[in-house]
Amino acid sequence: MIGLVQATEAIKLLVGFGEPLIGRLLTYDAIGMNFREVKLRRDPNCPLCGQNPRIKDLSIHMEGAGGQVCAVGDDGQGAPAASSAPAAKPGG
Amino acid sequence: MKTLREMLAEARRVVPEQGPAELKAQLDRGEALVLIDVRDPDEYRDGYIDPAVNISRGFLEFRVASAAADPNVPIVLYCQTGLRSVLAAKALKELGFTNVTNLAGGYQRWVQSGLPIAKDSPLNTDQIQRYSRHFLLGPIGEKGQRKLLGSKVLLIGAGGLGSPTAYYLAAAGVGTLGIMDGDRVDITNLQRQILHKTSDIGRPKVESATETIRALNPDVTVVPYPVRLTVDNVEEILKDYDLVIDGSDNFETRYLVNDACYLQGKTNVHGSIFQFEGMATVFAPDRGPCYRCLYPTPPPPGLVPS
Ligand SMILES: [Zn+2]
Repeated sequence: MIGLVQATEAIKLLVGFGEPLIGRLLTYDAIGMNFREVKLRRDPNCPLCGQNPRIKDLSIHMEGAGGQVCAVGDDGQGAPAASSAPAAKPGG
Repeated sequence: MKTLREMLAEARRVVPEQGPAELKAQLDRGEALVLIDVRDPDEYRDGYIDPAVNISRGFLEFRVASAAADPNVPIVLYCQTGLRSVLAAKALKELGFTNVTNLAGGYQRWVQSGLPIAKDSPLNTDQIQRYSRHFLLGPIGEKGQRKLLGSKVLLIGAGGLGSPTAYYLAAAGVGTLGIMDGDRVDITNLQRQILHKTSDIGRPKVESATETIRALNPDVTVVPYPVRLTVDNVEEILKDYDLVIDGSDNFETRYLVNDACYLQGKTNVHGSIFQFEGMATVFAPDRGPCYRCLYPTPPPPGLVPS
């Protein structure tokens, strides 16, 4: 299901038509067969794409980054509670 | 009964005409106009006036809205000699399009005036048949199909997510498909990773994926990367591709794909699944959030199975 959504989005983006899934998270639950859409906003404090980015190259991914391969900063932002609950704020 | 001559004369009375030089000047000035080539697809294939879209005369009334949504937008029609298109222009006026002109002398006079033409690389007869159902879809059409055939997509992961994605992209005729996966096929993969077969057990996944895709569509060039994505290879590999599809199964790779894509300005079509749940989104640099906007820090190990 999700793979097909990805393929469809890729074709739309490559050809250049339709509304791409930018800023929207589509979630899918096979048991209830529910689809939901959550609006996503950019985080101005994002270490990569925020206003004062701290990640300017891939050096945090280098070995010896102390097991902190992905984690950055010390701004106290906790991990999301569950895999399917993104930390970005739903925008309504 | 009207003669053809009378019909043409009648059409010319209501349809303004312009010459090739005038159209060229308008195009050079970047004026907003919709240029429609009303000839048959095989004539268009032999050469057309850029940036014309091809809507054959017979389909014009049915498909014109896909090219010109606003009935007041300037529309210029042309055919080979300017006859078919003047009748077509009259039909559009009758449909309510207010600003339709005809290119006098058509494509022929344009060419004789020494003006430039565009010609798409030819699709072979197999391709024309294989993708004919795409041609019928307005937003894709033959132009869109050419874009797909000229596109390069990198697929990270040839597992549960990457399998259906690769199948569909290959069937649709994405010209170059890079497939990256460092794993070998295991019997436990086969219940969902549909790129691989029982006889592939033990082989590198990219190898069986390549075979499956080539058998499906010989138009697709598969570039196999039988390695894991790392900080050392990511930049070099990514730079050749138009688009990245993340079908990886771990957070480390997702952050790496996200960061590398953002830094190189590549759009990342993200997806993940866990048991019966899944999610998908598109991370387009500076047009929307990135993966780190969603997950500022990775979940602690053990909390979230990947
Ligand atoms: Zn971000």
